[in-house]
Amino acid sequence: MKSSYYGKILHINLSNNKIWYDILGEEEIKLYLGGRGIGAKLLWDMTDNKTDPLSKENVLIFSTGVLTGTNAPSSGRTTINFKSPLTGRYFKCSVGGGWGLRAKMVGVDHLVIHGKAKKPVYIYISVNKVEIRDASFLLRKSVKETNRILKEKIEDNSIDVACIGPAGESKVKYASIMFSIYNTAARGGSGTVMASKNLKAIVVNPNHGKVYVNDPENFYKYVKSSLEDTYNDSHSPVMYKYGTSPDNVSMFDEGLVASYNFRRQTIENSYNFTGKCQIDEGYLERRVGCGSCIIGCHRFTVVPSGSFKGTYSEGPELETYLALGARLGITDENYLMKLNEMANDFGFDSISLGSTIAWAMESYEKGLITKKDTNGLEIKWGNGDAVIELIKMIASREGIGDLLAEGTKKASEVIGNNSEEWAVQANGLEQSGVETRAMLSYALAFALNPRGPDHLTTECLAELGKSFSPEAEKIIEKITGDKKYAVPYMTEKRADIVTWHENIYAVSDALGICAFLTTASYGIDEEKCAKLFTYATGIKISSDEIMESGRRIVTLERCYNNREGCTRENDVLPKRLMNEIAEGRVKYQPIKPVNSKEILDKMLDDYYELNGWDKKTGYPEKGTLEKLKLFFCADKIYPR
Amino acid sequence: MLTCSFTHEGYFSFSKSRMQIEKDEERAVSIPRVCIQCKDAPCIQVCSEEALFKDKGTGAIMVDKDKCTGCKKCVKACPYGGIVFDEEGSIPLICDLCGGKPSCIEVCRFPQAIKFKLKKENDEK
Repeated sequence: MKSSYYGKILHINLSNNKIWYDILGEEEIKLYLGGRGIGAKLLWDMTDNKTDPLSKENVLIFSTGVLTGTNAPSSGRTTINFKSPLTGRYFKCSVGGGWGLRAKMVGVDHLVIHGKAKKPVYIYISVNKVEIRDASFLLRKSVKETNRILKEKIEDNSIDVACIGPAGESKVKYASIMFSIYNTAARGGSGTVMASKNLKAIVVNPNHGKVYVNDPENFYKYVKSSLEDTYNDSHSPVMYKYGTSPDNVSMFDEGLVASYNFRRQTIENSYNFTGKCQIDEGYLERRVGCGSCIIGCHRFTVVPSGSFKGTYSEGPELETYLALGARLGITDENYLMKLNEMANDFGFDSISLGSTIAWAMESYEKGLITKKDTNGLEIKWGNGDAVIELIKMIASREGIGDLLAEGTKKASEVIGNNSEEWAVQANGLEQSGVETRAMLSYALAFALNPRGPDHLTTECLAELGKSFSPEAEKIIEKITGDKKYAVPYMTEKRADIVTWHENIYAVSDALGICAFLTTASYGIDEEKCAKLFTYATGIKISSDEIMESGRRIVTLERCYNNREGCTRENDVLPKRLMNEIAEGRVKYQPIKPVNSKEILDKMLDDYYELNGWDKKTGYPEKGTLEKLKLFFCADKIYPR
Repeated sequence: MLTCSFTHEGYFSFSKSRMQIEKDEERAVSIPRVCIQCKDAPCIQVCSEEALFKDKGTGAIMVDKDKCTGCKKCVKACPYGGIVFDEEGSIPLICDLCGGKPSCIEVCRFPQAIKFKLKKENDEK
């Protein structure tokens, strides 16, 4: 039967160079869909609570989506699953670019890397070849250099590369894997795990590869209606024109983003953080789309003048602006471009990198870190030159860089003296730039996120309602039955809003569709996901069933962390956000602007009740696991 | 590219797309390379088998698969690199304008990225 997804798993064990294939059955595909869903199941099966994330026992799983490789809109994404060295918990990253669809073309639905190579290697995959090759000539090479050298060596410009940079090789705990040069599977230490396997790069050559769909005629019909509806969503052209950063300064001035290590909610010179600034001040050279994308939210920027003239990279994305700019008090756009280029080229997660430096700056301000520790660097708020040097030190683990390479949680434990209070992390992950004190669906979602506090398993922009887009308000009405809930400061109905977003996000990741098409513009809904899945694979699924599969994926990820020992106690946000009110102007808060335990507990109770999770332990109840056909998880998380 | 191969072959493949994209990934440059349907097409002139001809309705250059020997002379003759050679089928792949309604235009939503314009009667090219 022709399908865009056969559940074919390519296993490579780098310890003994063994290469083999597995294939999944139809029932498993219907339960977990593919992409992130199957990736989560494989991770559950192949690791456990004894697995050391940086040992050869951990696995690194690359999963193309069910629709990846087709022309379904923005379907070129890949999920990376692993046990995180930063958090010790479940982790998934989703990445765009062109690698995924090329991997799919040569028949890779999933790629599982086991073991550890004796010497640095890279993997080459083409239609009829899988090879493990020596990578000694790529050591300490930056991401751009690695791509250049491999393309020259392989003499084929159609290849696509996923690789780690120097940060990964130094085993910085928040090193990323960079795809197609500028697309990043950033968080949780994906690159650190790759480095621990002595794997520098994975090259795919798509020549002569093919991807089929089961019912081309009906599939194309839904591709076209998805394109049309995405194109007509009012937020899509904004993302094309301005990227992930906003078109104006209102979100910065309304207190929706955190600055100065989350002490404040506004930032001076906020215009410099906007997509409009990139255009009007001559930084934007091109807009870029990932494989199959119709939005094109990526930016290619070049610094036109000044001391960083010629600096070039993709981005900065909004989160990088916030992490390496607002959180550090750096607002000069030339520095923002330079720091973004460094994060991409060294292969860092810019969010954890910026947050860790923000923690160090506050510790410096309080005298816990001194110039003696920093090789003379004055790491004061806004000192871009010092940050440039500090990033180099972290990438090579030199001096205090060695401590900061461990992430905020570990670094604050080592420095002590209450510095945990301003370590803006929970469960080991640094919080992304969303001001959860101003947006309560985000607060709940961040507390529940199996990764830790960030926006990449849920994107609850819809709670902003009309002020975000008319379609956002309609989504809230669809979920809750009333558009009055489309405001970000209410605790009511947040459980419903978060649950829907978690489910559709999991479905998007499983299908390989960019979550911007389901949770920022709303051109693709449950119905279209189900139809595209059905016509692509020939496996019939309804919109209710596909959302249930989404819930199954979310619940399995929850169980993974329960198996690691996590309970309701872990459903928290960083201490600062739960206890401190931010300075600065805050528009959206008729209630006390803190993610207090009281507010979180109320929303968590609602969420647990809605989803059949035990309110005391936070474990999914046995009945819930049975209903979702996840009963095998109960054996592992409930004592016999 | 994906939609091009899908429309013509029924599956998605870079190698089977009539449109190829030249990329400089590091500078984020993508330039589509596709037949521009020359008036006095060198590919037609160079074909000794008369396997290439212009469609009367659309003016697109078409390939007669039965006559084509797969010699690749047309590929070399094209000054724009607009002909893709399908190694598997041993045949040139040339944009046929999908019978006058190009599918690439249908799915491209980037404003102004690719356009389909009919030539006027007295246009030079």
